Amino acid sequence: MDGIHDLGGKLGYGPVDVNEPEEPFHYDYEGRMWAMSRIAKAPDINIDWWRHVRELIQEDDYLNRPYFDSWAQTTIATMIDSEVFTTDELASGVSATPPLADVQEVDYEGVLQQNAEIAFDFSRPVDTEPQFAVGDIVVTNAEGHTGHTRLPEYARGKTGVIHSYHSAHCFPDDYAKGNPSAQHLYTVAFAATELWGDDANPNDRVTLELWESYLAPK
Amino acid sequence: MASFDQKKITEIHQHLHSHLPSDSALRVKALETILVEKGMVKSESIDRWVEVYADDIGPKRGAHVVARAWTDPAFKERLLADAASAVDEMGYKGPASGHLKAVENTDDTHNVVVCTLCSCYPFAILGMAPNWYKTAAYRARVVREPRAVLEEFGVKLAEDVGVHVWDSTAELRYIVIPQRPQGTENMSVEELAALVTRNSMIGTDRDLKVGA
Repeated sequence: MDGIHDLGGKLGYGPVDVNEPEEPFHYDYEGRMWAMSRIAKAPDINIDWWRHVRELIQEDDYLNRPYFDSWAQTTIATMIDSEVFTTDELASGVSATPPLADVQEVDYEGVLQQNAEIAFDFSRPVDTEPQFAVGDIVVTNAEGHTGHTRLPEYARGKTGVIHSYHSAHCFPDDYAKGNPSAQHLYTVAFAATELWGDDANPNDRVTLELWESYLAPK
Repeated sequence: MASFDQKKITEIHQHLHSHLPSDSALRVKALETILVEKGMVKSESIDRWVEVYADDIGPKRGAHVVARAWTDPAFKERLLADAASAVDEMGYKGPASGHLKAVENTDDTHNVVVCTLCSCYPFAILGMAPNWYKTAAYRARVVREPRAVLEEFGVKLAEDVGVHVWDSTAELRYIVIPQRPQGTENMSVEELAALVTRNSMIGTDRDLKVGA
Protein backbone atom coordinates (compact mmCIF):
# COMPACT_ATOMS: atom_id res chain seq x y z
CA MET A 1 0.00 0.00 0.00
CA ASP A 2 1.42 3.39 -0.99
CA GLY A 3 0.67 4.92 2.40
CA ILE A 4 2.19 7.48 4.72
CA HIS A 5 4.15 4.73 6.52
CA ASP A 6 6.36 4.10 3.46
CA LEU A 7 8.86 6.79 4.40
CA GLY A 8 12.20 5.61 3.01
CA GLY A 9 13.80 8.34 0.87
CA LYS A 10 10.92 10.82 1.23
CA LEU A 11 12.11 14.42 1.28
CA GLY A 12 11.26 17.41 3.43
CA TYR A 13 12.01 16.03 6.89
CA GLY A 14 14.23 18.04 9.18
CA PRO A 15 17.11 17.10 11.45
CA VAL A 16 16.98 14.15 13.86
CA ASP A 17 16.77 14.95 17.58
CA VAL A 18 20.15 13.61 18.64
CA ASN A 19 19.89 14.94 22.22
CA GLU A 20 17.00 12.77 23.36
CA PRO A 21 17.57 11.42 26.90
CA GLU A 22 18.47 7.72 26.96
CA GLU A 23 15.98 6.46 29.56
CA PRO A 24 13.81 3.62 28.18
CA PHE A 25 10.47 5.38 28.69
CA HIS A 26 9.92 9.13 28.67
CA TYR A 27 6.30 8.87 29.92
CA ASP A 28 4.58 6.24 32.05
CA TYR A 29 2.03 5.47 29.36
CA GLU A 30 4.81 4.38 26.97
CA GLY A 31 5.90 1.62 29.31
CA ARG A 32 2.31 0.56 29.99
CA MET A 33 1.54 0.37 26.26
CA TRP A 34 4.72 -1.59 25.60
CA ALA A 35 3.80 -4.04 28.39
CA MET A 36 0.22 -4.50 27.16
CA SER A 37 1.50 -5.23 23.67
CA ARG A 38 3.56 -8.09 25.14
CA ILE A 39 0.67 -9.49 27.21
CA ALA A 40 -2.54 -9.17 25.19
CA LYS A 41 -3.57 -9.19 21.57
CA ALA A 42 -6.70 -9.97 19.61
CA PRO A 43 -6.71 -13.77 19.52
CA ASP A 44 -6.70 -14.37 15.77
CA ILE A 45 -4.33 -11.69 14.49
CA ASN A 46 -0.72 -11.81 13.31
CA ILE A 47 2.12 -9.31 13.14
CA ASP A 48 1.47 -8.36 9.52
CA TRP A 49 -2.21 -7.61 10.09
CA TRP A 50 -1.24 -5.52 13.16
CA ARG A 51 1.34 -3.63 11.05
CA HIS A 52 -1.20 -3.08 8.29
CA VAL A 53 -3.74 -1.72 10.76
CA ARG A 54 -1.06 0.70 12.00
CA GLU A 55 -0.31 1.78 8.41
CA LEU A 56 -3.99 2.62 7.96
CA ILE A 57 -4.01 5.26 10.71
CA GLN A 58 -4.95 8.62 9.19
CA GLU A 59 -1.96 10.53 7.86
CA ASP A 60 -2.11 13.43 10.31
CA ASP A 61 -2.38 11.06 13.28
CA TYR A 62 0.35 8.77 11.91
CA LEU A 63 2.85 11.59 11.52
CA ASN A 64 1.98 13.84 14.43
CA ARG A 65 0.83 11.72 17.36
CA PRO A 66 3.42 10.06 19.64
CA TYR A 67 4.73 6.64 18.74
CA PHE A 68 3.18 4.57 21.52
CA ASP A 69 -0.07 6.45 20.97
CA SER A 70 -0.11 4.84 17.52
CA TRP A 71 0.43 1.45 19.13
CA ALA A 72 -2.56 2.11 21.39
CA GLN A 73 -4.73 3.11 18.44
CA THR A 74 -3.58 0.09 16.43
CA THR A 75 -4.25 -2.38 19.23
CA ILE A 76 -7.61 -0.75 19.97
CA ALA A 77 -8.58 -0.96 16.28
CA THR A 78 -7.58 -4.64 16.00
CA MET A 79 -9.51 -5.46 19.16
CA ILE A 80 -12.65 -3.66 18.03
CA ASP A 81 -12.32 -5.37 14.64
CA SER A 82 -11.91 -8.79 16.28
CA GLU A 83 -14.82 -8.04 18.65
CA VAL A 84 -12.73 -8.28 21.82
CA PHE A 85 -14.48 -5.09 22.98
CA THR A 86 -16.71 -2.43 21.49
CA THR A 87 -16.13 1.31 21.21
CA ASP A 88 -18.84 1.79 23.86
CA GLU A 89 -17.06 -0.58 26.25
CA LEU A 90 -13.79 1.23 25.62
CA ALA A 91 -15.41 4.60 26.33
CA SER A 92 -17.21 3.47 29.50
CA GLY A 93 -14.42 1.23 30.82
CA VAL A 94 -17.07 -1.36 31.68
CA SER A 95 -17.37 -4.74 30.01
CA ALA A 96 -20.88 -5.59 28.81
CA THR A 97 -20.01 -9.30 28.77
CA PRO A 98 -18.42 -11.70 31.28
CA PRO A 99 -14.58 -11.66 31.15
CA LEU A 100 -13.13 -13.34 28.05
CA ALA A 101 -10.12 -14.68 29.94
CA ASP A 102 -8.75 -15.03 33.44
CA VAL A 103 -5.10 -14.14 32.96
CA GLN A 104 -2.96 -14.59 36.05
CA GLU A 105 -0.65 -12.02 37.58
CA VAL A 106 3.00 -12.48 36.59
CA ASP A 107 5.94 -11.57 38.84
CA TYR A 108 9.35 -10.18 37.81
CA GLU A 109 10.89 -13.60 37.18
CA GLY A 110 7.79 -14.64 35.28
CA VAL A 111 8.12 -11.62 33.01
CA LEU A 112 11.76 -12.46 32.29
CA GLN A 113 10.67 -15.98 31.37
CA GLN A 114 7.76 -14.82 29.18
CA ASN A 115 10.07 -12.32 27.52
CA ALA A 116 12.47 -15.10 26.53
CA GLU A 117 9.57 -17.11 25.10
CA ILE A 118 8.60 -14.45 22.55
CA ALA A 119 11.66 -14.91 20.36
CA PHE A 120 9.39 -16.06 17.54
CA ASP A 121 10.54 -18.06 14.57
CA PHE A 122 8.99 -16.79 11.33
CA SER A 123 10.56 -19.38 9.05
CA ARG A 124 8.17 -21.90 7.49
CA PRO A 125 8.67 -25.00 5.33
CA VAL A 126 7.84 -24.72 1.62
CA ASP A 127 7.82 -27.27 -1.20
CA THR A 128 9.83 -25.26 -3.71
CA GLU A 129 13.54 -24.68 -4.13
CA PRO A 130 14.78 -21.08 -3.89
CA GLN A 131 14.85 -19.46 -7.32
CA PHE A 132 17.92 -17.32 -6.58
CA ALA A 133 21.41 -17.91 -5.22
CA VAL A 134 23.82 -15.55 -3.50
CA GLY A 135 25.41 -13.30 -6.13
CA ASP A 136 22.48 -13.45 -8.58
CA ILE A 137 21.40 -10.15 -10.12
CA VAL A 138 17.70 -9.42 -9.59
CA VAL A 139 15.26 -6.65 -10.38
CA THR A 140 12.44 -5.73 -8.00
CA ASN A 141 8.79 -5.32 -8.98
CA ALA A 142 8.08 -1.89 -10.43
CA GLU A 143 4.57 -1.72 -9.02
CA GLY A 144 3.16 -2.14 -5.54
CA HIS A 145 -0.42 -3.16 -4.75
CA THR A 146 -3.25 -1.91 -2.59
CA GLY A 147 -2.65 -4.26 0.35
CA HIS A 148 0.10 -4.66 2.92
CA THR A 149 3.54 -5.21 1.43
CA ARG A 150 7.15 -4.95 2.56
CA LEU A 151 8.63 -3.80 -0.72
CA PRO A 152 9.06 -0.06 -0.13
CA GLU A 153 8.48 2.42 -2.94
CA TYR A 154 12.12 3.51 -3.00
CA ALA A 155 13.27 -0.01 -3.84
CA ARG A 156 10.78 -0.75 -6.64
CA GLY A 157 12.00 -1.35 -10.18
CA LYS A 158 15.61 -1.41 -8.97
CA THR A 159 18.46 -3.77 -9.76
CA GLY A 160 20.31 -5.43 -6.89
CA VAL A 161 22.29 -8.49 -5.97
CA ILE A 162 21.32 -11.38 -3.69
CA HIS A 163 23.42 -10.87 -0.56
CA SER A 164 22.11 -13.79 1.53
CA TYR A 165 19.29 -16.33 1.75
CA HIS A 166 17.22 -17.02 4.88
CA SER A 167 14.96 -20.01 4.04
CA ALA A 168 11.25 -19.35 3.56
CA HIS A 169 9.44 -16.95 5.91
CA CYS A 170 5.80 -15.98 6.42
CA PHE A 171 4.79 -13.81 3.45
CA PRO A 172 3.45 -10.48 4.79
CA ASP A 173 1.30 -9.60 1.77
CA ASP A 174 -0.75 -12.78 2.37
CA TYR A 175 -0.45 -12.89 6.17
CA ALA A 176 -2.03 -9.46 6.44
CA LYS A 177 -5.08 -10.97 4.71
CA GLY A 178 -5.20 -13.90 7.13
CA ASN A 179 -3.63 -16.29 4.63
CA PRO A 180 -0.57 -18.02 6.15
CA SER A 181 1.59 -18.57 3.08
CA ALA A 182 5.39 -18.53 3.00
CA GLN A 183 8.04 -17.64 0.44
CA HIS A 184 11.80 -17.75 0.14
CA LEU A 185 13.37 -14.68 1.75
CA TYR A 186 16.58 -12.96 0.69
CA THR A 187 18.66 -9.99 1.71
CA VAL A 188 19.17 -7.96 -1.46
CA ALA A 189 21.90 -5.32 -1.74
CA PHE A 190 21.46 -2.17 -3.83
CA ALA A 191 24.12 0.38 -4.69
CA ALA A 192 23.11 3.76 -3.28
CA THR A 193 23.66 5.17 -6.79
CA GLU A 194 21.06 2.69 -8.17
CA LEU A 195 18.48 3.92 -5.65
CA TRP A 196 19.25 7.64 -5.55
CA GLY A 197 21.26 8.49 -8.63
CA ASP A 198 24.67 10.03 -9.08
CA ASP A 199 24.42 12.25 -6.00
CA ALA A 200 24.90 9.17 -3.83
CA ASN A 201 28.34 8.03 -2.72
CA PRO A 202 29.47 5.12 -4.95
CA ASN A 203 30.84 3.33 -1.85
CA ASP A 204 27.44 3.21 -0.15
CA ARG A 205 24.78 0.53 -0.33
CA VAL A 206 21.39 -0.29 1.13
CA THR A 207 20.13 -3.79 1.84
CA LEU A 208 16.55 -4.94 2.34
CA GLU A 209 14.93 -8.28 3.12
CA LEU A 210 12.76 -9.18 0.15
CA TRP A 211 10.49 -12.13 -0.59
CA GLU A 212 10.85 -14.12 -3.79
CA SER A 213 7.71 -12.79 -5.54
CA TYR A 214 9.08 -9.25 -5.18
CA LEU A 215 12.00 -10.26 -7.43
CA ALA A 216 12.68 -11.28 -11.00
CA PRO A 217 15.91 -12.48 -12.63
CA LYS A 218 17.84 -9.95 -14.65
CA MET B 1 -12.62 -13.00 14.07
CA ALA B 2 -10.35 -10.40 12.57
CA SER B 3 -11.93 -9.08 9.36
CA PHE B 4 -8.61 -8.62 7.50
CA ASP B 5 -10.64 -5.91 5.75
CA GLN B 6 -8.80 -2.68 4.97
CA LYS B 7 -12.01 -0.67 4.49
CA LYS B 8 -13.42 -1.73 7.84
CA ILE B 9 -10.20 -0.72 9.62
CA THR B 10 -10.18 2.66 7.88
CA GLU B 11 -13.69 3.25 9.24
CA ILE B 12 -12.65 2.19 12.75
CA HIS B 13 -9.68 4.58 12.62
CA GLN B 14 -11.93 7.43 11.47
CA HIS B 15 -14.27 6.74 14.34
CA LEU B 16 -11.41 6.53 16.84
CA HIS B 17 -9.93 9.77 15.48
CA SER B 18 -12.96 11.69 16.70
CA HIS B 19 -13.93 9.57 19.73
CA LEU B 20 -10.70 8.70 21.55
CA PRO B 21 -9.45 11.14 24.17
CA SER B 22 -6.77 13.34 22.61
CA ASP B 23 -4.30 12.81 25.45
CA SER B 24 -2.06 9.78 24.78
CA ALA B 25 -1.92 8.74 28.43
CA LEU B 26 -5.73 8.69 28.59
CA ARG B 27 -5.94 6.55 25.44
CA VAL B 28 -3.56 4.00 26.90
CA LYS B 29 -5.40 4.13 30.23
CA ALA B 30 -8.72 3.44 28.47
CA LEU B 31 -7.19 0.40 26.77
CA GLU B 32 -5.74 -0.90 30.04
CA THR B 33 -9.06 -0.44 31.86
CA ILE B 34 -11.11 -2.41 29.36
CA LEU B 35 -8.47 -5.17 29.03
CA VAL B 36 -8.45 -5.58 32.82
CA GLU B 37 -12.28 -5.73 32.73
CA LYS B 38 -12.10 -8.42 30.05
CA GLY B 39 -9.66 -10.46 32.15
CA MET B 40 -6.90 -10.15 29.53
CA VAL B 41 -4.30 -8.21 31.52
CA LYS B 42 -3.45 -7.56 35.16
CA SER B 43 -2.22 -4.06 35.97
CA GLU B 44 0.35 -5.55 38.37
CA SER B 45 1.83 -7.58 35.51
CA ILE B 46 2.12 -4.40 33.45
CA ASP B 47 4.07 -2.85 36.35
CA ARG B 48 6.47 -5.82 36.32
CA TRP B 49 7.02 -5.61 32.53
CA VAL B 50 7.85 -1.92 32.85
CA GLU B 51 10.33 -2.69 35.65
CA VAL B 52 11.98 -5.45 33.65
CA TYR B 53 12.50 -3.16 30.64
CA ALA B 54 13.68 -0.31 32.87
CA ASP B 55 16.14 -2.42 34.89
CA ASP B 56 17.16 -5.65 33.18
CA ILE B 57 16.56 -5.57 29.46
CA GLY B 58 18.26 -2.76 27.63
CA PRO B 59 21.36 -1.81 25.68
CA LYS B 60 23.65 -3.19 28.38
CA ARG B 61 22.72 -6.62 27.08
CA GLY B 62 23.89 -5.69 23.59
CA ALA B 63 27.00 -4.10 25.06
CA HIS B 64 27.90 -7.40 26.71
CA VAL B 65 27.40 -9.20 23.42
CA VAL B 66 29.80 -6.75 21.74
CA ALA B 67 32.41 -6.91 24.53
CA ARG B 68 32.35 -10.68 24.44
CA ALA B 69 32.76 -10.65 20.66
CA TRP B 70 35.82 -8.41 21.08
CA THR B 71 37.43 -10.75 23.59
CA ASP B 72 36.32 -14.24 22.52
CA PRO B 73 37.10 -15.01 18.85
CA ALA B 74 35.12 -18.27 18.86
CA PHE B 75 32.05 -16.45 20.20
CA LYS B 76 32.49 -13.72 17.60
CA GLU B 77 32.54 -16.34 14.87
CA ARG B 78 29.31 -17.85 16.21
CA LEU B 79 27.76 -14.40 16.55
CA LEU B 80 28.48 -13.43 12.96
CA ALA B 81 27.29 -16.84 11.69
CA ASP B 82 24.11 -17.09 13.80
CA ALA B 83 23.49 -14.19 16.15
CA ALA B 84 20.12 -15.56 17.32
CA SER B 85 21.81 -18.66 18.79
CA ALA B 86 24.75 -16.67 20.12
CA VAL B 87 22.55 -14.30 22.16
CA ASP B 88 20.43 -17.25 23.29
CA GLU B 89 23.65 -18.77 24.63
CA MET B 90 24.10 -15.61 26.75
CA GLY B 91 20.54 -15.86 28.08
CA TYR B 92 19.36 -12.88 26.05
CA LYS B 93 16.67 -14.51 23.93
CA GLY B 94 13.50 -12.41 23.64
CA PRO B 95 11.30 -10.21 21.44
CA ALA B 96 12.73 -9.87 17.94
CA SER B 97 15.86 -11.92 18.68
CA GLY B 98 14.65 -14.94 16.70
CA HIS B 99 16.26 -13.84 13.44
CA LEU B 100 19.04 -11.63 14.76
CA LYS B 101 22.05 -10.73 12.59
CA ALA B 102 25.29 -9.14 13.72
CA VAL B 103 27.12 -6.87 11.27
CA GLU B 104 30.64 -5.67 11.91
CA ASN B 105 32.18 -2.24 11.34
CA THR B 106 35.65 -2.21 9.79
CA ASP B 107 38.13 0.48 8.80
CA ASP B 108 36.39 0.86 5.44
CA THR B 109 32.75 -0.02 6.28
CA HIS B 110 30.21 1.59 8.57
CA ASN B 111 26.87 -0.13 9.26
CA VAL B 112 23.66 1.63 10.24
CA VAL B 113 20.22 0.12 10.88
CA VAL B 114 16.71 1.42 10.14
CA CYS B 115 13.18 0.18 9.58
CA THR B 116 11.72 2.53 6.96
CA LEU B 117 8.27 0.87 6.91
CA CYS B 118 7.55 0.75 10.66
CA SER B 119 10.07 0.70 13.50
CA CYS B 120 11.42 -2.86 13.87
CA TYR B 121 14.11 -3.05 16.56
CA PRO B 122 15.97 -5.83 18.44
CA PHE B 123 14.21 -5.22 21.78
CA ALA B 124 15.66 -8.30 23.49
CA ILE B 125 19.23 -6.99 23.34
CA LEU B 126 18.85 -3.22 22.96
CA GLY B 127 15.68 -2.61 24.99
CA MET B 128 13.34 0.17 23.97
CA ALA B 129 14.09 1.96 20.72
CA PRO B 130 14.91 5.66 21.07
CA ASN B 131 12.19 7.98 19.77
CA TRP B 132 14.41 9.34 17.03
CA TYR B 133 14.73 5.83 15.55
CA LYS B 134 10.94 5.81 15.09
CA THR B 135 10.57 9.31 13.67
CA ALA B 136 9.65 10.04 10.07
CA ALA B 137 12.85 12.11 9.76
CA TYR B 138 15.20 9.23 10.59
CA ARG B 139 13.25 6.63 8.61
CA ALA B 140 12.98 8.86 5.54
CA ARG B 141 16.49 10.24 5.53
CA VAL B 142 18.93 7.57 6.68
CA VAL B 143 18.47 5.42 3.57
CA ARG B 144 18.85 8.40 1.25
CA GLU B 145 21.43 10.61 2.94
CA PRO B 146 23.04 8.44 5.64
CA ARG B 147 26.17 10.58 5.82
CA ALA B 148 24.17 13.74 6.58
CA VAL B 149 22.19 11.94 9.30
CA LEU B 150 25.36 10.46 10.79
CA GLU B 151 26.95 13.92 10.90
CA GLU B 152 24.03 15.13 13.00
CA PHE B 153 25.01 12.38 15.46
CA GLY B 154 28.61 13.57 15.36
CA VAL B 155 29.87 10.79 13.08
CA LYS B 156 31.90 12.19 10.21
CA LEU B 157 32.99 9.57 7.70
CA ALA B 158 35.69 9.80 5.07
CA GLU B 159 34.34 9.55 1.52
CA ASP B 160 36.02 6.18 1.01
CA VAL B 161 34.42 4.58 4.07
CA GLY B 162 31.36 2.83 2.63
CA VAL B 163 28.07 3.19 4.49
CA HIS B 164 25.95 0.07 4.58
CA VAL B 165 22.33 0.81 5.52
CA TRP B 166 20.28 -2.20 6.66
CA ASP B 167 16.54 -1.62 6.17
CA SER B 168 14.72 -4.19 8.34
CA THR B 169 11.83 -5.06 6.02
CA ALA B 170 11.27 -8.62 7.32
CA GLU B 171 11.72 -10.28 10.75
CA LEU B 172 15.51 -10.12 10.63
CA ARG B 173 16.93 -7.68 13.19
CA TYR B 174 20.40 -6.19 13.32
CA ILE B 175 23.03 -5.33 15.89
CA VAL B 176 26.10 -3.43 14.74
CA ILE B 177 29.40 -4.59 16.22
CA PRO B 178 31.44 -1.39 16.57
CA GLN B 179 35.24 -1.45 16.35
CA ARG B 180 37.12 -2.04 19.58
CA PRO B 181 38.89 1.17 20.57
CA GLN B 182 42.68 1.26 20.74
CA GLY B 183 44.29 1.15 24.16
CA THR B 184 41.75 -1.26 25.66
CA GLU B 185 43.92 -4.40 25.51
CA ASN B 186 44.02 -4.82 29.28
CA MET B 187 40.37 -4.14 29.98
CA SER B 188 37.97 -6.74 31.36
CA VAL B 189 34.77 -7.68 29.53
CA GLU B 190 32.83 -5.58 32.04
CA GLU B 191 35.03 -2.54 31.43
CA LEU B 192 34.77 -3.01 27.68
CA ALA B 193 30.97 -3.33 27.81
CA ALA B 194 30.81 0.02 29.59
CA LEU B 195 32.41 1.66 26.52
CA VAL B 196 29.73 0.41 24.12
CA THR B 197 26.98 2.97 23.51
CA ARG B 198 23.45 2.11 22.43
CA ASN B 199 23.83 4.28 19.34
CA SER B 200 26.99 2.44 18.31
CA MET B 201 24.95 -0.78 18.12
CA ILE B 202 22.35 0.96 15.89
CA GLY B 203 25.12 2.58 13.86
CA THR B 204 24.64 6.26 14.75
CA ASP B 205 27.87 6.27 16.77
CA ARG B 206 31.24 4.95 15.54
CA ASP B 207 34.42 5.84 17.42
CA LEU B 208 33.89 4.69 21.00
CA LYS B 209 35.56 6.75 23.68
CA VAL B 210 37.84 5.35 26.34
CA GLY B 211 37.76 7.06 29.72
CA ALA B 212 34.89 9.31 28.68
